[in-house]
Amino acid sequence: MSAPAPPIAVINVSRWYGNIVAVNDISFALGPGITGLLGPNGAGKSTMLHMLSGFLRPSAGELRVFGESAWENPGMYRRIGLVPEREAVYPFLTGYEFVLLAAQLQRLPNPEEAARRAIAMVELEDAAGRATGGYSKGMKQRVKIAAALVHDPEILLLDEPFNGADPRQRLQMMAMLREMAAQGRTILFSSHILEEVERLAEEVLVIVAGRLAASGDFREIRKLMTDRPHTFNVRSSDNRTLASALVADPSVYGVELQDGLLQVRTGEFAAFTMAIPGVAREAGVSIYELRPTDESLESVFSYLVKR
Amino acid sequence: MNGVLIRLTARQLLGQKRTVLLLLFALVPVLIAVLYRVAGNDEPQRWAASALNARLIIGTFLPLAALVFGTAALGSEFEDGTAVYILSKPIPRQVIVLSKLLVSWLATAGVVLAATLIATSIALWGEPQDGILAGFALAVVAGALVYCALFMWLSVLTSRALIVGLLYVFIWEGVITRLFAGVRFLSVRQYTLGIADAVVDVPARVFNPRLGEMEAMVLAAVATVVTLYLAVRRLRRWEIGEAS
Repeated sequence: MSAPAPPIAVINVSRWYGNIVAVNDISFALGPGITGLLGPNGAGKSTMLHMLSGFLRPSAGELRVFGESAWENPGMYRRIGLVPEREAVYPFLTGYEFVLLAAQLQRLPNPEEAARRAIAMVELEDAAGRATGGYSKGMKQRVKIAAALVHDPEILLLDEPFNGADPRQRLQMMAMLREMAAQGRTILFSSHILEEVERLAEEVLVIVAGRLAASGDFREIRKLMTDRPHTFNVRSSDNRTLASALVADPSVYGVELQDGLLQVRTGEFAAFTMAIPGVAREAGVSIYELRPTDESLESVFSYLVKR
Repeated sequence: MNGVLIRLTARQLLGQKRTVLLLLFALVPVLIAVLYRVAGNDEPQRWAASALNARLIIGTFLPLAALVFGTAALGSEFEDGTAVYILSKPIPRQVIVLSKLLVSWLATAGVVLAATLIATSIALWGEPQDGILAGFALAVVAGALVYCALFMWLSVLTSRALIVGLLYVFIWEGVITRLFAGVRFLSVRQYTLGIADAVVDVPARVFNPRLGEMEAMVLAAVATVVTLYLAVRRLRRWEIGEAS
């Protein structure tokens, strides 16, 4: 007997728009649990989610949901819940009506009960009778999530679900997603915020410039990110003296003096930041400014791509 | 058909400002008919058939109303990004198109039919009808269906459906069809006028459409079926825009 198809299988998928490659030869398979799709803005996360949700045809490769093609397959929406990134909802519908609409279109046997249950899951009961046109961004996110899970889907795809949510709402949504994952559901959510993914995802897919830069256990990837080479810009009372003192420190593997600025390269972020105050003190130099130059998420991602 | 989608679309269309503007615009033929009667002009049958119904209502008001309702029924959801909530449900795409078409057709036919009945009744008050009222009433209902199907297809095809639709109505139907008689087979306006001729019983001097009634009915049916098929096909392969 053959093994059952994984909930999500992406095989050598590419998608391009004219000359622009949005997703470049990506493969992965996802099973139950929470997976974070991480990458800077414009990396191809939404394109990947749109392809998985059947709203974009891959230019090459295959996307399979429970073994079936995701493209031109409306039947798969019985098993998938989708939370799009755009905050648009029907402004004339109340929150309850919006979720009820989703339940009715799913042809659930008791749509009213399912809508009430989904609204309770996102803790939106108090605002359920109000028109969604007057909702805050966070409330719109929650009502969209309620509509996506009203039919109890096996797969939940969420595009930047925490946008606009306040910290308490974030925690509540994260707890709810964890609970759903514990029940055996496959949850894939995209985010450009490292900390968000770190707090929620067990597995992570890092997409940079359309390519899969890293995938697997988040802690391993986080370690790679932390241990990568770092560059610091230093301004001090005597850059030359400080440079010669720093070269002797084992955490430093390069210094450069230019335009009144000392640039220091280190392979150990924590060890260097601990060592530099002592080194400066011993050399009799005052530090005016110490600034890492490559702390943007983009630089972390591009480091992963180069490896 | 899907009752939930029909109700949703009806609420969408009725809540739009353009619907209110269209209702106000429906008063224009009525006011013109009143002015015509007050001015006491001759040949009310000819005026009612050729000027009021053929030119003003079928030539302008009907396609504009169909353009507003036909493109809004699905197109407004593509525009604001809410289409994804319908398309991410296990509903056959033909059910979505037919449900949306039904609402836009009923809305268009309702508004235009009311204007046709009132304005024509005023124009022909105390005059022999000779099938003018019934013929044009039938024609606007049938024409509304063909126009709505065409404009709905345009709204699935392009985000500039309103502009393309206006070009079709005013350049293709208004100018090209008048200059080149051969292209009358590709004009919904000519189908509509031809359908009216099936009931209108007046001399050619009073009303003389370019298509015979049978040709018009067959072409209208073919145009409706083909544009609906194309809309369903396009919707099955609809791709979300990067901005969506």
